[in-house]
Amino acid sequence: MNQRLEDLLTKAWGPSLPVIIVTAIVALLLPILVHTFLYRARTPTSLPSFLLVGPSGSGKTSLLTVFENGSPAPTHLSQTPSTVQVQLPPSTKADSQKYRSEHDPTAKQRPKFLIIDTPGHGKLRNHAFEQLRKPQPHLKGIIFVVDSASLSSDTPGRSAAGLTEAAQYLHDILLLLQKRYTGAKSSKGPPELPVLIAANKLDLFTALPAQLVKSALEAEITRIRTTRAKGLLDSAVKDETLEEEREWLGDGGEGKFEFGQMEEVNVPIKVVGGNVIGADGSDISGWWEWIGEQL
Amino acid sequence: MLDSFEILSTSGVVLWSKTYVPIGANVINSLIKDIFIEERAGAAIDEDIAQKPTYKKEGYTLKWTTAKDLGLIFVAVYQSLIHLSWIDKLLDNVRALFTELYRDDLKKRNTTSFKCNFEPYFDRQVQELEKLDGGSSIAAQSSTSNSAAELTPPSTSSGADEPPPPPLPLLKAAGQKTFSEHAPSTDSTPIPTPDTSRPASPAVSHLLQAKQRPTSRRARKAASVAANSAPASSGDESPMYKSQTLRAKKARKWDANGMADEEDDTVLDYSSAGRGDESSKDAGPTSGVEAVSSSSWGTRTGKGEFVLKELDDEMDSIISSANAKKASSAEASGSSGLVGSSLGAITGLFRNVVGGKTLTKEDLAKPLKGMEDHLLNKNVAREAAVRLCESVENDLVGKKTESFTSIETTIRTSMETALRKILTPTTSLDLLREIQSVTAPSSSFLSSNPSKPRPYVLSIVGVNGVGKSTNLSKIAYFLLQNRYRVLIAAADTFRSGAVEQLRVHVRNLKELVTREGGGAEVDIFEKGYGKDAANIAKEAVDYAAKEGYQVVLIDTAGRRHNDQRLMSSLEKFAKLANPDKILMVGEALVGSDSVQQARHFNEAFGKGRGLDGFVISKCDTVGDMVGVIVSMVHATGIPVVFLGVGQHYGDLRGLSVQWAVRLLMQ
Ligand SMILES: Nc1nc2c(ncn2[C@@H]2O[C@H](COP(=O)(O)OP(=O)(O)OP(=O)(O)O)[C@@H](O)[C@H]2O)c(=O)[nH]1
Ligand SMILES: [Mg+2]
Repeated sequence: MNQRLEDLLTKAWGPSLPVIIVTAIVALLLPILVHTFLYRARTPTSLPSFLLVGPSGSGKTSLLTVFENGSPAPTHLSQTPSTVQVQLPPSTKADSQKYRSEHDPTAKQRPKFLIIDTPGHGKLRNHAFEQLRKPQPHLKGIIFVVDSASLSSDTPGRSAAGLTEAAQYLHDILLLLQKRYTGAKSSKGPPELPVLIAANKLDLFTALPAQLVKSALEAEITRIRTTRAKGLLDSAVKDETLEEEREWLGDGGEGKFEFGQMEEVNVPIKVVGGNVIGADGSDISGWWEWIGEQL
Repeated sequence: MLDSFEILSTSGVVLWSKTYVPIGANVINSLIKDIFIEERAGAAIDEDIAQKPTYKKEGYTLKWTTAKDLGLIFVAVYQSLIHLSWIDKLLDNVRALFTELYRDDLKKRNTTSFKCNFEPYFDRQVQELEKLDGGSSIAAQSSTSNSAAELTPPSTSSGADEPPPPPLPLLKAAGQKTFSEHAPSTDSTPIPTPDTSRPASPAVSHLLQAKQRPTSRRARKAASVAANSAPASSGDESPMYKSQTLRAKKARKWDANGMADEEDDTVLDYSSAGRGDESSKDAGPTSGVEAVSSSSWGTRTGKGEFVLKELDDEMDSIISSANAKKASSAEASGSSGLVGSSLGAITGLFRNVVGGKTLTKEDLAKPLKGMEDHLLNKNVAREAAVRLCESVENDLVGKKTESFTSIETTIRTSMETALRKILTPTTSLDLLREIQSVTAPSSSFLSSNPSKPRPYVLSIVGVNGVGKSTNLSKIAYFLLQNRYRVLIAAADTFRSGAVEQLRVHVRNLKELVTREGGGAEVDIFEKGYGKDAANIAKEAVDYAAKEGYQVVLIDTAGRRHNDQRLMSSLEKFAKLANPDKILMVGEALVGSDSVQQARHFNEAFGKGRGLDGFVISKCDTVGDMVGVIVSMVHATGIPVVFLGVGQHYGDLRGLSVQWAVRLLMQ
């Protein structure tokens, strides 16, 4: 009985058993090999990444060190961008894992991601803009850090220099994101690119609370976009294209700029307060949470 | 006396620092800003060829050096009142030590965290250099908690069993304090340790390895052995001291003749160290040594000296090997045999095509000369071209070219970056926004009582015939288009016909305004010739405030920038009229004189006041030879605000950095 079955099988399966086995092994292993090879080769770049931007001295590099090590390191002005690999703390859950049960072993894997710190000095912002100009499939979000204590003005009526600078930088970033959307080829537009406005240094008593940071920035951007639109053309613009080159952030109306308007171009904006340094240690849980939501 | 020494990365993180007297973070920040980012030529730097450059800020003198391949900056800060001649040497030595010791750690990617125990090396360097100098000793001042040093009585040796020493405890044990100098003679504590195998001057690789390996298991085992075999320790002896001792013993392996008179003590200490280690096992493998309170460092001066000896040897070997490397690489690039050189030339050529070539000064010299000529052809002043090339050279020497990039391309890219950096203004130039905030202060929620609106005052200076009045009218036209009420003040009371010329402009502008309608309005404020310009300007501003003009544009007399008498009157002008903005008009056609013009005008307004920007006129006549833009910005660090690009009132543009860089690199 057994013998007959074997004969039958041998006949049915063709020339020889070794060939069959080898073929089977190759067939099974090849995809795995190819996958691991490709996967290996791509891991360094395929981590999701976040871009840290903001004016100089807002606390980006300090925040970076807290993200990585849990405690702030002393810092000075940055001159070059730097990339750091960070792991979500156990207390924060990534969005993709929200619905997994506590006991699911994969839930214990804290997701890794990259944070790219950029210099905030006016002459060096090109680093940040470059990052946004080239397509970034892994870029999951932008964190715009502002020094909330630099936004309130001592001379009444005049915007503080810190507010103007932060708003101008933010305006330029948002304009770039808007262009990314309007310039996109596909009808669906580029994927969502959320922006977190991290109102930093809330430990200082001169700092504005997050809600006021939001309205101060919105009001200042409203002013900036009107003066920008009325400003001189720059030398790169050829005369033929005179008016088309004008860029207007947010929706077409002359009214107030609000962060909500950016959702039309797939850029949801959220303002969350926190502090990197402070008497009671750093409080960046709100920012962790936001990052978790994007993962 | 040194106040502070910091080692920081170009990405902004302080990797290691030692502070003797706290200084504000802004001191080093402004060094980075002025020297490294904005590259201010005249920013309080003493150029002394033999010495490293210095930078002075708030009564401090800063000296620095860099390790470009690793992106490191080494900064020493001390008070300007004191003259420290050895800082240069310290910077060089520390750079050599630090880069050799931690090269691998520093090259790690995607991390900012960096741990090292550089303290003993640094302290020793300072001490030695100070000794050489014969100057005041920092060590004496800073080692405050070393009082216990002489209190420990010498103990007798029992020759007790020697546990194997923990791997490199010294380096783990961060000493906060420097070693005391009044140590008893080191020769009196010989300790026979025939079983150790470490050389007296350990190689760097050893150190690193040892550093990375957990101190733990061997040490702990050894420690418990010691604990079992030795009497109870006095308890407050520090494990750190212990580790020094052990290290010292190791070092003394060749010295087998004397009885070690501190042996007993050693064992006691060791046991206590061991216990500490055992008890803190779960705090991490290295905690036993690292957790040591820093104050105990150096309590045992005799032993300290041993350690220092070894440290010295080690440091010397590192520094000399670093120097040798430098020398040999210089030599290699200079002289080698016929075969060697031709082979080198071939691989060099190959590398030039394929990339991955480490650039030397010699490699760069020729293409940089070409680049300099190119810039000169674009009408960049020689001074500025030379400086740009220097900064490119600084940027590139020691770097590797990227794959499939030739030296020329690399230089090009670097030059583009340098140009972009020099031309990009530090703060954004939004004239309308500035005017708005002065003339119509927003009653924002942040302030209940908005400040009183006042006219915005802009004045224009420049040499004769560069187009001051024309550009002033263009700016006026631009403002009129934005519905401002503009008053033009004729403060050129010198050149005949100047007032009439302005009058014509104002008449033309008026016509344009009425055609376009809106709330705009333009008038002239004139007081004839011969009067003092500063007073007229002041009167104009007062008049504008009274009559509700929003912007005052002040035309001034053209003056040669080397005319002392006329230039000095600008100071009074700036004081009386107190303009919000002073712009200098420069011609795009002007050659190397542009640098001097910009400098002289920038300095003419007295202390604390300078130019706020440039208007470059007649840009349409020079094609792509827009080098003046670079020359003027180079000379002063002040941005170009406007470009005049034609004969019409509307021919005024802002500067696009992208555009300028493209033209210059064409
Ligand atoms: N009080 C307080 N100070 C902070 C906080 N966060 C950062 N700082 C300080 O702000 C200063 C600037 O921080 P950095 O992180 O170097 O600033 P940056 O944004 O990286 O600046 P650039 O590199 O120039 O763009 C540092 O001295 C920090 O100590 C905070 O939450 N509270
Ligand atoms: Mg930074």
